Amino acid sequence: MTEDYNLNYTDTDIDLTQSLKAPGRGYWLLLTFLFLLICAGGYAWGVQIANGIGESGKNNPVGWAMYITTFVFWVGIAHSGTLISAILFLFRVKWRAAVYRSAEAVTVFGLATAGLFPFIHLGRVWVAHWILPIPNFGGLWPNFRSPLAWDVLAITTYLTASSLFFILGMMPDIAIVRDKARGWRKKVYGLLSMGWQGSDNQWRHYTAAYVFLAALSTPLVISVHSIVSWDFAMSVIPGWHSTIFAPYFVAGAIHSGLGMVVLLLIPMRKAFKIEQYITLHHLESLAKLIIFTALVVGFAYSIELFIAWYSHNPYEQAIFLYRMTGDYAWAFWLLITTNVFVPMLLWSKKIRTSIPWLVGICVSVEIGMWLERFVIIVTSLAHDYLPYAWGLYKPTLIDSLIVIGSFAWFFFLFMVFSKTLPVVSMWEVKEQIEPPMKSSH
Amino acid sequence: MSFSLRPYRFGIFSHLDTCLGAIKQLPGDGFREIEVYSPTPHHEIAHVLRRKPSPVRVFTLVGGLTGLIAGWAMTIGSTMIYPIIVGGKPIISIPPFGVVAYITTILFGTIATFIGFLINARVPQVKIVQGYDERLSSDHFGVLAYCLPEEVVRLEKLLKKLGAVAVTGSQGL
Repeated sequence: MTEDYNLNYTDTDIDLTQSLKAPGRGYWLLLTFLFLLICAGGYAWGVQIANGIGESGKNNPVGWAMYITTFVFWVGIAHSGTLISAILFLFRVKWRAAVYRSAEAVTVFGLATAGLFPFIHLGRVWVAHWILPIPNFGGLWPNFRSPLAWDVLAITTYLTASSLFFILGMMPDIAIVRDKARGWRKKVYGLLSMGWQGSDNQWRHYTAAYVFLAALSTPLVISVHSIVSWDFAMSVIPGWHSTIFAPYFVAGAIHSGLGMVVLLLIPMRKAFKIEQYITLHHLESLAKLIIFTALVVGFAYSIELFIAWYSHNPYEQAIFLYRMTGDYAWAFWLLITTNVFVPMLLWSKKIRTSIPWLVGICVSVEIGMWLERFVIIVTSLAHDYLPYAWGLYKPTLIDSLIVIGSFAWFFFLFMVFSKTLPVVSMWEVKEQIEPPMKSSH
Repeated sequence: MSFSLRPYRFGIFSHLDTCLGAIKQLPGDGFREIEVYSPTPHHEIAHVLRRKPSPVRVFTLVGGLTGLIAGWAMTIGSTMIYPIIVGGKPIISIPPFGVVAYITTILFGTIATFIGFLINARVPQVKIVQGYDERLSSDHFGVLAYCLPEEVVRLEKLLKKLGAVAVTGSQGL
């Protein structure tokens, strides 16, 4: 990418540490607004804990609703980070250097947000530790044949691996900030940099560890959301019991994750004046990936319908007919439009290099992907085998506030990150710049 | 600042090519024990230094294998202690337990890799090497060469001759 950047080592550090300067009024106002939304979500959760899970709109038969929808959504959002940071690293895709730090932050904060929902969904959150594999504690033993037990392990592993990858990737950059900072900041960044000095010995072990962490994280991109999909596919509920679920969920996860990365990069590059590092070329590359994932997701939707028709299974056929024409048909058609048809606009170079269009399309993808999980979860439970057991789900103020609070929590974490840690990997950008040479080439 | 038992001199170079020239020249002048500091890893530096491959890979392998064994042990062990048939599946159900073993392989492998890095790269370090220049993380290169007490002056002159813009160091303890 040397040809993409007309920069030198010194400028890179100066430009990319600008984001760490004291924030302005707008930043504080937005942060305060997000904090208030988090408080509203926390209050709603408090009400639910005090009064019981009945405060949410969950009922019999729709026992999984907004919370599990949002849990799956946030796990999905997390997937793009590992795709960009690990898989594109292993394939030596150079444009990832400028965007992967933010994508990794999306992964870590997405998982930190998703991780709240199993606790919120449990209702009796004070016995959440029963899910841990502690021998016969409380008369329970985790059932390792259950995908729910796999899910706990998979998400924990994903959070651990992503966090370590995030910390490792940032260490040399924090050392740069340490060496430029003064006063108490120098001490804080000194601690965070762990005494990194950039000796050849450190780099030798660093690059080895980086490759292995990337290699270990790569299968997680595929496996974590596959396991999340098995939470559904291992059951016998119509519309869930399908072998296509794993690849379908993984593609959807990457689809929504890429959209979120673009949505966060666009204001960030503008606010921190780093357009020459996160260029239109980077956004366009991400947009091309979104076209690919939209096609995969669209293919999965059509295959799902085909399988229901071809199977001659009346329950499968009934549930898909219900999704298309029943109580939640508006959500079904909206998700098809926003996830598949709207991203097709990105085939046009003019559109995929236009910031307003990119923002609009990525918002559309996020809405669509949240609705996709909502439709999968709610329609199948609302309309399964026995007509007398059918029911409807309507969100209450409590579960709506909790979901809104979770979005605020994610963006709050990202905003704090963007002002305290380097948002673009300086050492990796430098790898793609001509090093300072006495003898010109 | 951390202190070395042996004296050394730390040459700061503003260009990669002069730094490479110095690390090629120094062993020929009797200073074989050197460390190079750079803002980003460079193949050219690694090529000249010819260090052994990092042992971090051993940590990854051992961690992964430990995780694989731990995953099988946890699942099979727990069901053997409480052999309750669930969903008509066998007590020892290989495919679902394989999923758990796969996850623990990655979990243990990841943690072991990170620990391997920390141990081998000697981080966290409370104190930075004496003579470390703050420009080294940004746009300069450093060559740290150990020497005998009587060679300090010769080494310092040599580093300057080779293009070092500054020479610092420690007399040792």
